[in-house]
Amino acid sequence: MPQNLNHSTADIGEQQERNLRVFYTLSAVFFLFLILIFRLFWLQVVKYEDYFRRSEENRIRKTIVTAERGYIYDKNGQILVRNRPSYNISILPYQVDNRDSVYNRLMRVLDTNGQNVFDPALLEWAFERGKYQRFRPLRILEDATDMQVAFIEERSELFPGVVSYVESRRDYPYGTMASHALGYTGEISEQQLKDSVYIEQGYALGDRLGQKGLEKEYEHYFRGHDGVKYVEVNAYGREIGLVEEMQYEDAVAGHNIHTTLDWNLQKVAEDAVPDTVKGAVVVLNPQNGEILAMLSSPRINPNIFSLNKKALKKSWAEVALDSARPLNNRAIQGTYPPGSIFKFITAAAGLESEVIDSYTRFPKPCTGGFYFGRRYQRCWLGAGHGYTNVVSALRESCNVFFYQCGLELGMDKINDLARKYGLGRRLGVDLPGEKQGLLMDSVTYNKRFERYGWKWSRGQILNLAIGQGELVTPLQIASFFGAMAYGKGLYRPHLVKEVRSSDGELIKMYPITKISEAKLRAENQDIILHSMEEVVSGVRGTGRRAQIRGVKVGAKTGSAENPQGDKTHAWFAAVAPLESPTISVAVLLENTGSGAATAGPIAAKILQAYFSEKNDKTGTNP
Amino acid sequence: MKKILQKVREPRRFDFLMLGIVLLLMGIGIAMVYSATANTELPWYQTFWFKQITYFAFGWLIAFGILLTKPHFWHEFAYPAYIISLIGLVLILFVGATESHGAVRWISFGFIKIQPSEFAKIGYLLALSRYFSVKKVSLERLSSFVVPIILFIVPFLLVLKQPDLSTALVFFSITLMAFYWSGLTFAEMFLLLSPGLSVIAVLSKLAWGGLMTAVTVALWRRKLPIWLSVLILTLNIAGGFASYTVWNSLEGHQRSRIMTFIDPMQDPRGAGYQVIQSQLAIGSGGVHGKGFGEGSQTNLSFLPEEHTDFIFSVLGEQFGFLGGFVLLGLFFLLLVRTYGIAQIHSNLFVVNVCVGGSTILLFHIFVNIAMTLGIMPVTGLPLPFLSYGGSFVVTCMILVGFFMLMRVKGDDI
Repeated sequence: MPQNLNHSTADIGEQQERNLRVFYTLSAVFFLFLILIFRLFWLQVVKYEDYFRRSEENRIRKTIVTAERGYIYDKNGQILVRNRPSYNISILPYQVDNRDSVYNRLMRVLDTNGQNVFDPALLEWAFERGKYQRFRPLRILEDATDMQVAFIEERSELFPGVVSYVESRRDYPYGTMASHALGYTGEISEQQLKDSVYIEQGYALGDRLGQKGLEKEYEHYFRGHDGVKYVEVNAYGREIGLVEEMQYEDAVAGHNIHTTLDWNLQKVAEDAVPDTVKGAVVVLNPQNGEILAMLSSPRINPNIFSLNKKALKKSWAEVALDSARPLNNRAIQGTYPPGSIFKFITAAAGLESEVIDSYTRFPKPCTGGFYFGRRYQRCWLGAGHGYTNVVSALRESCNVFFYQCGLELGMDKINDLARKYGLGRRLGVDLPGEKQGLLMDSVTYNKRFERYGWKWSRGQILNLAIGQGELVTPLQIASFFGAMAYGKGLYRPHLVKEVRSSDGELIKMYPITKISEAKLRAENQDIILHSMEEVVSGVRGTGRRAQIRGVKVGAKTGSAENPQGDKTHAWFAAVAPLESPTISVAVLLENTGSGAATAGPIAAKILQAYFSEKNDKTGTNP
Repeated sequence: MKKILQKVREPRRFDFLMLGIVLLLMGIGIAMVYSATANTELPWYQTFWFKQITYFAFGWLIAFGILLTKPHFWHEFAYPAYIISLIGLVLILFVGATESHGAVRWISFGFIKIQPSEFAKIGYLLALSRYFSVKKVSLERLSSFVVPIILFIVPFLLVLKQPDLSTALVFFSITLMAFYWSGLTFAEMFLLLSPGLSVIAVLSKLAWGGLMTAVTVALWRRKLPIWLSVLILTLNIAGGFASYTVWNSLEGHQRSRIMTFIDPMQDPRGAGYQVIQSQLAIGSGGVHGKGFGEGSQTNLSFLPEEHTDFIFSVLGEQFGFLGGFVLLGLFFLLLVRTYGIAQIHSNLFVVNVCVGGSTILLFHIFVNIAMTLGIMPVTGLPLPFLSYGGSFVVTCMILVGFFMLMRVKGDDI
């Protein structure tokens, strides 16, 4: 090499050494490669026959055993959600020796009405696809009946490569009952498949998972752990049996969720609210936040999500395009002005900040309305309530009293108290999609209505003090009203009490948590409780329909003005027994007029059922 | 013909032969990835094979980018590169993304995931090459081992912690080859390694006895100072005893990998299952293979990770012994070309980079293929230019860039 001509002898010695090292190194590399070649030769040439036979014969297939999804129970152990077996019929293209004959035979399978069992389009799709995906089972009939499965299985020699698989699907035995709280499962969506959160948890195309409600919130508990088994398949691709010497991993069934729901109360509530009325009912125990019943109307039937694709598509279109928006859980996602129920917040704020006491009468009596500057703001009772104190103003729901109370207080004090009772913020209920609602003050008002060019003025307080302008969910109303009557704090509303494994072992217990110290001074608490009672038992009370023999019930009606200009939304909140409340009910019905007439009877029915059930229990245990 | 050969051998010439081999390997790789992942419903631009093509294109950009630099730059950049790669490995302790088996090997930057241990291989290679460009090692002067061992042990332990035993061993292989090229003989390397071998051999009394005999013979013939001979013997015995405790402290999945190497049927679901199915796929390929796209074993999804770690099984099943032979031949030719750069240039930095880089490739090739053939434990090491995966493609193409650069400009330092 020309470059090396001028090099000294030392360089040449060094060059030789490097040459030698390269030689030795490559010899070692060659030796390593020789090992690989020999091994390759051993496997592929010497032992070829053996391995080839085993690969042909050894029809061991690794199959995933899907874990059974956990159940949902009510507080008394009644099953609310369970699973049912579902059969799929598929073709395994690589085992279909003669496409045309199998296709024709399948097309000749008719049901009792003389209709084709197999959809020709789907069959064609599967056989076409099978040319490229020869080793993957392609579904040709979903959710097949036992008869259909038996028909195919008994004639396996006529249908080589046509196999059936069993899978488990969700079953909601009570159909639409509490459907929004329970939620539903569905096949993983394309969007979720792109989400790394789902990928990391090992979800794949075709998996079913909780998409709404408790099913979604507690998905990680329901899901369980898929198992693996090795099965031997015969020449037609059917499973002959487990391969003994290969270990298998059992599927671990998902955990069961024990809810706080009281199915009897839920049923009473469901019966009381017809599906034609839009609305929501929340029943909870204010002492610990346990939700006893939750309903949103119109309902959906979660069973449609377990149907085969064709049926699902049809039902889904009906549900998704319905203008009544049945997919919304109005109990936690519907936000409405609280109406007169909010007067309890204004009253409590007034009492706590000592703007009013039980004797306070504002200078202007109710004459059926109130002049604020030159604006005349009406009270709902045209005849007027005259002079009122806080108790009678709450009892008769006088607007004029609270106009003046609000003006003296200012929104900050009112909102501070409202927040303590859980309004304007998420309560942390264990359901996805909870709305936080809205409390209004000058800042939020100006921000919210900036694009309309509206500016805050003190006149807004008039409306806000009587609950027109804030937004709350039915869940917030039930929580706030219950907490105010209970007087010992606001507890996180929740649906799940505990999680148990399929063997009944306790996995997780959800402790009750206090969200805030929602307390009033003792004398104010008495005034509030007295007012709540007066609404129900007072001669001129607006909530007299909630009376129940032998139980001290507190309540408040409300009518939320509807920006769409239709009839007002009807509110009714009730709590009992007032000495130590264990049940708080909020009923909201959209566009049905005043709260007392429509929502009140529903709350009354629920209270009636609750206390008769309780009396039955104590009655049998003398 | 002779003229062409002379031209190829000549330094300062761009190595078209190596370019051709790498391109050929990449082509085979894409075909195999395509075949292994054909069962997909993804649109073509999301498929593995297409992503692999984009990785390769990106890799070539890097390789030719390196060709535009000067070897001197890498000489200067060696220690900073080492430090940067260590920072990457440390960073993983804090912001790493957990993957299966509880290992933490990746750092996620939103849309892109980086595997710092891949780039640490390059950083370590450069640093060690620079150090040995002026220093030698000798058994008589144990102090000569201090700096290289420190350079080695830091990334080694950090990678081991992830835990990624097989990648950690890549660092070990670089170090070993560097020792050989920096003055040690085979016998000396054997003595140096013997305590480590004791650790493994102690599991069988016969093997350990044989090893100790060999060590004694080597010591006697090498005539090392007495104290050093005693030290090596003591370390051998201590290593043997320590072995039991080390064995007990191994991670569950590491131990199971070693155990299933000894007896794959012990874990037919996990590592053993992969080995069995891989051998079945390869063995059933025969001399000619089953033909492209006709691998029933791979297509039935008997093989897990068939587009990454077990890509050689896919090739073995579809193209048989001939296919495997040709692939090994290509790899061998590639290594001849890359180790051969050490003959062309005398600058030790250039020599060390090429020898070390070639060793990285060699280690991956041998360990990966031996694993699919069932003669090495199941490790997560990919096969250069064939296995799917972005980070490793980049590592390999950086090495290819070094080979091209050093061959052409190795004198210019």
